Amino acid sequence: MRPLDEKETTMVFEKLFKFTGPNLKHLLERPAVEGPDPEPGRYCLRLHKNRVYYASEALVRRATAVARPRLAAVGTPIGKFTHHGSFHLTVHALDLLAAHARRRVWLKPDTERSFLFGNSVPKSSLARITENTKSGDGVVVMSMSDVPLGFGIAARSAQDCRKADTNAVVVLHQADAGEYLRKEEELM
Amino acid sequence: MAEEAAATTAAAASNYEVDLGNLMAYDPSHHLAAAPSNREAMREECLQKATELAQAVADVLFALPPNEARDGPLVRLPPPNTRLPREKHLPRPKPPTKWEQFAKMKGITKRKKNKREWDEQTQSWKRTYGYDRVNDDRDIPIIEAKATDEPGVDPFAQRKEEKKKRVEKQEKNRLENLKKAAKVGALPSHIQLAAKALPITGTKADLPKKSKKEDLENVAGMASTATASGGKFDEKLPGEKPPKHAGKHRKFLPVVEGKGIGNLEKQQYDKVLNSILAKNSEDQLDVGRAITMYKVKKEKQRSKDKDRPSKSNNKLKPQKKGFKKSSKKNA
Repeated sequence: MRPLDEKETTMVFEKLFKFTGPNLKHLLERPAVEGPDPEPGRYCLRLHKNRVYYASEALVRRATAVARPRLAAVGTPIGKFTHHGSFHLTVHALDLLAAHARRRVWLKPDTERSFLFGNSVPKSSLARITENTKSGDGVVVMSMSDVPLGFGIAARSAQDCRKADTNAVVVLHQADAGEYLRKEEELM
Repeated sequence: MAEEAAATTAAAASNYEVDLGNLMAYDPSHHLAAAPSNREAMREECLQKATELAQAVADVLFALPPNEARDGPLVRLPPPNTRLPREKHLPRPKPPTKWEQFAKMKGITKRKKNKREWDEQTQSWKRTYGYDRVNDDRDIPIIEAKATDEPGVDPFAQRKEEKKKRVEKQEKNRLENLKKAAKVGALPSHIQLAAKALPITGTKADLPKKSKKEDLENVAGMASTATASGGKFDEKLPGEKPPKHAGKHRKFLPVVEGKGIGNLEKQQYDKVLNSILAKNSEDQLDVGRAITMYKVKKEKQRSKDKDRPSKSNNKLKPQKKGFKKSSKKNA
């Protein structure tokens, strides 16, 4: 377990910034009320075996007691670095992103299943979309009952969505909650 | 019958000695009823008795006034009142030293020395030992030659040699005494501690430092790459493993600094955050343009202020005449 390099931090922040925007500051500076300490600490990012974890200071301090080969995870995993050094957000970050993301997309109830199987979102499944979404923005996909299903990248801006074809792709799939079942072995 | 039993247990309960400091309860009036038949019955009886005692401890414990802490009610236990037996043995008696044996035999008693003594040599009061002492060798100016003295022998040097020998002898005796005491197991504690740390001969510097596996691997790695081409083209010995840190050894921030995030890490986060926010910020102020606009505004105002007084005195100012003559040729 080690803190991130400057280059690595830039990569992680840029990916997160696509979803959260200026909220990213809040993500890093919110008080972490974990542990028995009277003053809440902050959250920090740690790298362990090519996976990036988001954990509170108190947790990280205690995790140093575990030997490196035996440490499985610390806090919430948010993504992993691939073999050649690029960073991808994984589905574990869904909770965090859903709480802090700026743009959301709501799916019609019948079409949720398609997204949960790993397909991109066509315009026909779209029920609602946040107004000022631009193309290339990170977007959290929710069901009509406000349950986060996954996240992806908006392929078109909100205005373009209205003019688009019914089968045109609106959200490019990045991760969904169905991966917990489909990619059970890969995720951990 | 049941009432009687209940009454007796109640009476017995009040006679338990509860030591809250050790969280312990003791029943002085307990004896096992005649040898129980088998192990199971004995176990049952012991458990029952233990439950009663534990109940007594819990009763007293929860009767204490609690302080409200973050995780729940907190109580400070009183100091224990059962005396526990010694952990280590009493110090063993030292065997008498060589001098003590001799003194006993001869009947020599200890006498107290004064701090200051009269020094005949320098005719002054001097300390019995230490800095400014009685009978110091350095104070003797002249040593008279004796008949037994050989010519060419330095008496001062001789005195020094003798003193050295005396000191060495004393040291040897001291060590002998300590060895005798060590045999019985009565070494004074400060010497025992020192003895364990030091090697048998020599000083602390002679202790062989065990090189750890990582140290050896590091050194081996460094040695293997300390060639002109970085160890790339060297033939590997049979059984030699490739170096662990292939390439440059990077330096990372410490995992935990202080309470978790150290200053350096915070600075790194802030730096990266600010650069990303600045790059993508939509309402970014174009500082150059703002400056130009401000300057232009200022200039206009200045020229306005200048013009106002000049407009009134137009008549007094020299009229500007063009120097260029008209090209009207006088026809």
